[in-house]
Amino acid sequence: MSIFEKIRDIIADLLDIEEDEITLESYLIRDLGAESIDLLELAVALNSTFNIEINDDEIFLKTLRLYLTEAKEKKEDTSSYLAVRFPFLEKKRIEEIMEDLEKGPVIKVKDIVRYVAFR
Amino acid sequence: MQKRVVITSVGVISSIGFTQNSIIENFKKENTCFNTALFDNQIPVCPVKNFDVKNFTGRFKNIRYLNRGAQFCVASAMEAVTYAKLHKDMLKKAGMFAGMGPNLDISGEFSKSLDGVGAIDSKDLPALWILRFLPNTAVSAISRLAGIHGDNLTINTACSASLQAIGEAFRKIRHGYLDLAFAGGGDSRLNQGGILAYKKAHALAAGGDDPEKAGRPFDCNRKGFVPGEGGAFFLLEELEHAKKRGAKIFCEICGYGASIDGYNMTAPDPEGRWSETAVRDALKEAKMLPDQIDMVSAHATGTQLNDEMEASLIDRVYGEHKPFVIALKSWIGHVAAACGAVELAICIYCLQNRYLPKIRNLKDPNHKNINFVKTSAVCSFDSVMLENFGFGGQNSALVVKAWC
Repeated sequence: MSIFEKIRDIIADLLDIEEDEITLESYLIRDLGAESIDLLELAVALNSTFNIEINDDEIFLKTLRLYLTEAKEKKEDTSSYLAVRFPFLEKKRIEEIMEDLEKGPVIKVKDIVRYVAFR
Repeated sequence: MQKRVVITSVGVISSIGFTQNSIIENFKKENTCFNTALFDNQIPVCPVKNFDVKNFTGRFKNIRYLNRGAQFCVASAMEAVTYAKLHKDMLKKAGMFAGMGPNLDISGEFSKSLDGVGAIDSKDLPALWILRFLPNTAVSAISRLAGIHGDNLTINTACSASLQAIGEAFRKIRHGYLDLAFAGGGDSRLNQGGILAYKKAHALAAGGDDPEKAGRPFDCNRKGFVPGEGGAFFLLEELEHAKKRGAKIFCEICGYGASIDGYNMTAPDPEGRWSETAVRDALKEAKMLPDQIDMVSAHATGTQLNDEMEASLIDRVYGEHKPFVIALKSWIGHVAAACGAVELAICIYCLQNRYLPKIRNLKDPNHKNINFVKTSAVCSFDSVMLENFGFGGQNSALVVKAWC
């Protein structure tokens, strides 16, 4: 089973939804309706399944907007600033996120997969 | 002015059935679910078979936070909500009152972490495992599923809890605070932790050969109670409100009483002074005399102490009037915090069907001056006194009348 398939099964179970509703491009919060308590449970399940320490702030991009403000205040390049703090995200994905900020929480299933693969 | 309060919806999940028809049918055929516990063949229990909470909630991710007792509570509440057919705006304002027990399933909840050295954490333990132990998790789930947002309470007064929840809801409507209130409860203590607790307290009817014959309320040879499980919920409604929307009325709640013994942590006061007060308060609020009660649904656990106290209490209150006395725990076991709600649901169905269920296994009554129902019968009765008493010296009583 691939990392994505394992993560898809965990999310389907936690959110009580069908597996085929979940793709790499699904937004965890906007599309799948995850709430803060679901993210807490997801972190526990990922830790248990993959045997890795999960940093909630990193994996769910919780500090994303804080870093954006910091980068602006420090007058640093935003993409580079985020790339250092979210090393599991590729440059292309960071750019995608930057353009998507207005529409709500940006976290996608593929970000979770990347985080786990990176660890 | 005090309002009149009626019940306009019933939802029940019990070992003897989930619907009015199945419950009455199972009474008539004497189909019960008594068996021995899976993990201890010396302990008789009365589980609910074929229960899946999702059949009542549909898809609902928060089911993972509901212990089995909370699942019975949520399932029966959703049945009551569905049957009530209330408009969304009415549901929003409705109150909600639930009697809940503690989650005693310690070995089940921490099965992967009980390592014998005292550590209870494990990597599989849910982040919010606390919700499976908080008593108000059930009403939180019901609120979200049904869109109920009014005044609410979760009551934890042991085996008196759900009858008190119904009593509190009744008073909120009677005194004009609410027009609509859902009330009831759910509980299950058939797990190893729950059984261990009652076994050590010497409260169980343990050690017999036949689980069907273990629970013997009011019999001289009674040995203790048989744990059961389940849940029931009702919609309580102000009479004019119910009439205006053309709701079916099952019965009227006329009076309620509650008290606390201040005597012993587990045993009832043998003189039943404060339990009698609760019963007499319920009659007083109903503006009824003892001889206007046709049937008493006794708490009747089948323990030495409760049944001794309760038989004397019934004799003192009703004297020569001698109403029918039934003991539903001989059919469904002791549903703990939810016993009042489940027993009320069954009493309502018995009222509707004019059906008087016998007290099972009663051969040698512990009191000579009481009209124990020893043979099931179809007969006319209109008014019921429900009694429930619990650990801690909790007492509660509720008077309901058939709606004709």
